[in-house]
Amino acid sequence: MTKTINLTLKVWRQPSTESKGGFETYHASDISTDMSFLEMLDVVNEKLTMDGKEPIAFDHDCREGICGQCGSVVNGRAHGPEKGTTLCQLHMRHFSDGDTIAIEPFRARAFKVLKDLMVDRSALDKVIQAGGYVSVNTGGTPDANAIPISKEIADKAMDAAACIGCGACVAACPNASAMLFVSAKVSQLALLPQGRPEAARRVTAMVRTMDRMGFGNCSNERECEAECPKEISITNIARMNREFFKAGFFSAVK
Amino acid sequence: MSWFVNTLGSSIGKKLMMAISGLSFCGFLVAHLAGNLFIYGGRDAFNSYATHLHSLGPLVTIAELGLLTLALIHVLTGATLFYENLQSRPQRYAVNKSAGGRTIGSATMPYTGAFLLLFVIFHLLNFHFVDKTHITIFDIVSKSFSHPAYVVFYVLAMIIAGLHVSHGLWSAFQTLGANHPKYMPIIMMLSLVFSLIVGIGFGFLPIYISLIA
Amino acid sequence: MHLDAKIPGGPLAEKWDRHKFELKLINPANKRKFEIIVVGTGLAGGSAAASLAELGYNVKSYCIQDTPRRAHSIAAQGGINASKNYQNDADSDRRLFYDTIKGGDFRAREANVYRLAQVSGNIIDQCVAQGVPFAREYGGLLANRSFGGAQVSRTFYARGQTGQQLLLGAYSALSRQIAAGKVQMFTRREMVDLVLVNGQARGIVVRNLITGDIETHTGDAVVLCTGGYANVFFLSTNAMACNVTASYRAYMKGAMFANPCFTQIHPTCIPVHGTYQSKLTLMSESLRNDGRVWVPKNAGDKRSPDQIPETERDYFLERKYPSFGNLVPRDVASRNAKEQCDQGKGVGETGLAVYLDFRDAINRDGKDVIAQKYGNLFQMYEKITADNPYEKPMMIYPAVHYTMGGLWVDYNLMSTIPGLFVLGEANFSDHGANRLGASALMQGLADGYFVIPYTIGGYFAGAKLPKVSADQTEFTIAAKEADIRTKRLLSINGKRTVDDIHRELGNILWNYCGMARNDAGLTKARTLIQSLRSEFWENVRVPGSDKDINQSLERAGRVADFLEFSELMVVDALTRRESCGGHFNEAFQTEENEARRDDENFCHVAAWEYAGEGKDPVFHKEPLVFENVKLTQRSYK
Repeated sequence: MTKTINLTLKVWRQPSTESKGGFETYHASDISTDMSFLEMLDVVNEKLTMDGKEPIAFDHDCREGICGQCGSVVNGRAHGPEKGTTLCQLHMRHFSDGDTIAIEPFRARAFKVLKDLMVDRSALDKVIQAGGYVSVNTGGTPDANAIPISKEIADKAMDAAACIGCGACVAACPNASAMLFVSAKVSQLALLPQGRPEAARRVTAMVRTMDRMGFGNCSNERECEAECPKEISITNIARMNREFFKAGFFSAVK
Repeated sequence: MSWFVNTLGSSIGKKLMMAISGLSFCGFLVAHLAGNLFIYGGRDAFNSYATHLHSLGPLVTIAELGLLTLALIHVLTGATLFYENLQSRPQRYAVNKSAGGRTIGSATMPYTGAFLLLFVIFHLLNFHFVDKTHITIFDIVSKSFSHPAYVVFYVLAMIIAGLHVSHGLWSAFQTLGANHPKYMPIIMMLSLVFSLIVGIGFGFLPIYISLIA
Repeated sequence: MHLDAKIPGGPLAEKWDRHKFELKLINPANKRKFEIIVVGTGLAGGSAAASLAELGYNVKSYCIQDTPRRAHSIAAQGGINASKNYQNDADSDRRLFYDTIKGGDFRAREANVYRLAQVSGNIIDQCVAQGVPFAREYGGLLANRSFGGAQVSRTFYARGQTGQQLLLGAYSALSRQIAAGKVQMFTRREMVDLVLVNGQARGIVVRNLITGDIETHTGDAVVLCTGGYANVFFLSTNAMACNVTASYRAYMKGAMFANPCFTQIHPTCIPVHGTYQSKLTLMSESLRNDGRVWVPKNAGDKRSPDQIPETERDYFLERKYPSFGNLVPRDVASRNAKEQCDQGKGVGETGLAVYLDFRDAINRDGKDVIAQKYGNLFQMYEKITADNPYEKPMMIYPAVHYTMGGLWVDYNLMSTIPGLFVLGEANFSDHGANRLGASALMQGLADGYFVIPYTIGGYFAGAKLPKVSADQTEFTIAAKEADIRTKRLLSINGKRTVDDIHRELGNILWNYCGMARNDAGLTKARTLIQSLRSEFWENVRVPGSDKDINQSLERAGRVADFLEFSELMVVDALTRRESCGGHFNEAFQTEENEARRDDENFCHVAAWEYAGEGKDPVFHKEPLVFENVKLTQRSYK
C-alpha cells in the first residue's frame, strides 16, 4: 500500500572534477513509497530549486533499468540495497520512515567525478573500442540461419550480453576492477561462432586496455556478481581468463 | 618472449601467478601435514621420518629452492596487486557495505597473507635454521611447544592459514578459468573442507605436543 | 513549394533496385574527402555512423548521453520484424509491406514501406553476424514470435531486451570505427541548432553538457537520428532526455515537419500512480501473445480480480475482434482500453487500468514456459508495482510511446533542406498513422545500415559543396544565438520549475490531443499552450550557470522547444479532418467507434513549413498514391 515517509539524505556534493567534495544533509519529506529512488531525488531537487539552491546533479535517462546511465552508491551499496536492481528501479518502499540515506558517486580511479553524483565512465567505452565487436562490415553477411547455434550457447551468450554498462561492478569491487564488465563482452562474443575468428585478438586487446585505464585487479571477491543489476555471473570472468591464457600462451597474438 | 611478459604482466597474468603458486603451496601443505602426522607415532617415528627426508639430499635442496621461488612470486605479486588495488580507488567510500560476495577469508587476503609471511619466517628460524647436531627435531618441537605462548601463537597462525586457504583455493580455480556451474559448488565446498583440514590438522599438533610434553 | 518524394518509377518490387542502380556513386578514394555529421547514436544513428565510416566517409557522431550505448532504442523490448518466412507461415516482403501499410492506416508511402520490407531480412543477417544473441530453438535456428497487427510469426527477439541487443550491435560496429579513427565521437553534446550555408545543411551547433561551451561543427551533410518527440506529453515511455529540439531547430531552419499529430499511444504500460511520477514504463506488446485483456462486465465492480468469475469478465478485445483478438494493433487496443475505462469499468485505485491476465496461459503452458518468455518483464512489473503477475493479473493502461510524425523526407531520406537527412523515428516516412509492434527497430536499422549509405552518395555526387569553416558568419551567428537563448533562460528566475511547466504541458496534450481528440478540445489546447509558453518565458526558474553541468538548463531548453512544437501538433490535428491510426477525432468515427478515414480528402502527408515566430505554419500536401494496395476500412475483426 502507498504511504509516505520522511528521510534524511546525506548527499555527496562536488561542483567539478577538480574541486573538493563533501556531504550535505537534506530532508526529504512526504516521500511516497511508490516513488522510485530517482523520483525521490527529483522531489528534493524541485525543492532545492525553489529554495534558490543548486539541484543535485545525477545521471539518469531511461528510468526503466536498461540504459545503464544511472547509478550511485546508496548506503554503501551500488544501486542501493535491492538485488538485481538499478537505482531507477529501486523503489522507496524498501526504505522506512526516519531512515538516513548516504548517497555517493561510483568511486574508482578510472571513473572521475564530474559533478555531485555524476561520473565519467568513458573508460568502459575505451575497452569496447579495443575489441568488443565482431569485425564485419555492413552487408555481405551470410543468412542468419546459416550457422545453427545451440540454444544453450545462445542463452549463455545472452546472459552475458545483458550487461548494461552501468559500472556498478567497478563501483562495488573492493579493488575497483572492471573484470565483470569486460568479461561479459568477451564471453558473449567468445561463445558465439561469429565471434570466434578474432577471439584471441579481442581478449588480449580488451584486457590490456582495461589494465591501462587504471582499473584494479580482480581478487575474486564476488561483490560485482552480487551487485550487478543484471545479475551477470563471474563464470564469465573465468571464461575470459581461459580465453586470455589461450590467447597469451597458445595463439599468435603477441 | 615479449608475449610471455605481456601475458604474465597483465592483471590476469598476475592472478595466474598467484593462483599457480598458491595451488603449489596447497600441495606443499598436504605433504607437510602428512609428514607432521608422524608426530603421533612418537619420538622415533618422527625423527626417522626427518632422517629419511634429509637423506634425499639434493632433491630436498631443489624442493627448497622451488618453494623459495614460489614464495617470492606469491609474495611479490601479492604485494604488487595489493598496492595496485589500493591505488585503484583513491577516494574511499564513506559508507561501505558488502553485497554478500565477500567472505572473511576473501576480505582479509592481503593481511592474512602478510601475517603468514612473517609466520613462515619465524617458523623457519624456529625449526629449520637451527643447529640440529646435538638435538633431534622432535626434541626441538616438543621443547618449543612446552611454552604456552608458542602454542597459542601457532594455533592462531594455523587458523589464519585456514582462512587464507579458504578463499585462496577456490579462487585459484576461478582464476585458472575452472568455473563451471556443475563443479564450482563442489570446488567451493572442497575448498572449505581443505581449509578446515589445514586449520585443524596443523593447529591440533602444537596442542597435542604440549599435552604429551 | 512542391514536395517531390523522388519515388523511382517501375514496379513496386523493383523500385529500390532500380534506384540503387541509378544513384550516382562516389569513388572509394573520394569518400574520405567527405565529412558527415550524424546526430544521435540510437539504432538509426549508430548503424548509420558505423556503416558510413566503413564505406570510407569521415564521420562525426554526437550523443546526448555519456556513451553512445545508451540511446533510448535500448529500451525496446519485444522484437524486430523481418519477412524471412522462417516459420513457413506464408510470410513475404509483400505481406510485411501490406501489414505495415495497413497497420499505418494507409497513411504511409508505398515505396518506402516496400523497401523497408525488402531490407528487413538483411538486418537480421547483419545483426546475427555482429553477435546479437537472438532467441533460438533447440535445433539451433532462430526463434520467432507473433506481434500485434500480424497473423504470421516474423518477430525476432532477444528475451525482452531486443532493442538493447540490437543497439549494442550497432554500438559495437560504431566502436570499431571509432577505434579505426573513422568516427570521431562526441558524447554529452546536445544539438541546439542546424547551420545552413547557401541553403545546404553544413553544420550544427551543440552545447557541451559538461563544460557548457557552445560548439560549432562543420560537415558536408547532416544526418539527424534524434528520435521522436513523445516527451512533449511529459509522461511517456521515452527516456528522460528524449526531446524534439534537434528536429524543431531543423524545422525552424526550413525542414518541413510532417504529420506531427500522429502519435502512438501504447496499450500495455504500467498505469500512472502519482503526480510525482517522472515517466511511464512500457510492458512489451509481446505480452499480448499470452496475456488476455479484460475488465469486469459491470461498471464499478471493485472486487479483486480473483473474486470475479469468468462469466462476469469481459475479454473485450477477443469479443470485438475475434480474428486478431488480443493482437489487434496498438491504436485499436489503446482506444478500446480507454473506452472501457470511460464506461467506468476500469480497475485499480484510479480506475484507469485494465487487466492483462496470464492465468490461462500459465495453466496451459506451465509457469516455467511463461517465465522463460516473459520472466524479465514480470520481474520489472513486480519491481515497480510490488504485485506478482504470476498470481495476480497485471494492470495496464495506454501511454504515449512513439511518434510516427517527424521531419518530412523523400525516398532518399533527405529533408526539404539539401544535405539534411533524417533517419529513424525522427523522420515520418514508414509508419503512417500508426506503427506496428517490432517495426521501429526494423526501420531504424534499415535506414542506418541499408538506405543512407547509398542515398547520401547520390547527394554528394550531385551537389556542389564548397569548403566551409566554423569561422564563417553562418556559424558564429548561430552560436551567438544559442548563447543568448541560454543566458535568457537563466535570467528569468521566476517561480515555477521547468518540470512543473512541462508537466502542465503534458496534461494539456494528454487531455486534448491524446487518444481521442475533438475540435473544441484542440482549439482550447492551442490557447492553453500559448499562454503556458508566455508564462514559461516570464516565470520559469532555471538555477545554476551556463558554464558547467546544469541539468535544469538542459531541460529548460528542451521544454522551450516542446512549448513551440506542441502547438504545431495541435494545428496539425485540427487540420486533419478525419480519424486514422493514432489520430482519432471523435467527430469522425464509424457506428462501432472505429476510426473513419477520409481517403478522398486526406490521403496525404501534411507537411508544415515554419513561417517565422508568431506566425501560423504553412501547410503543404504530399498526396499519397496507392497503386499496389486497395484502401479499405482497416478491419481486425
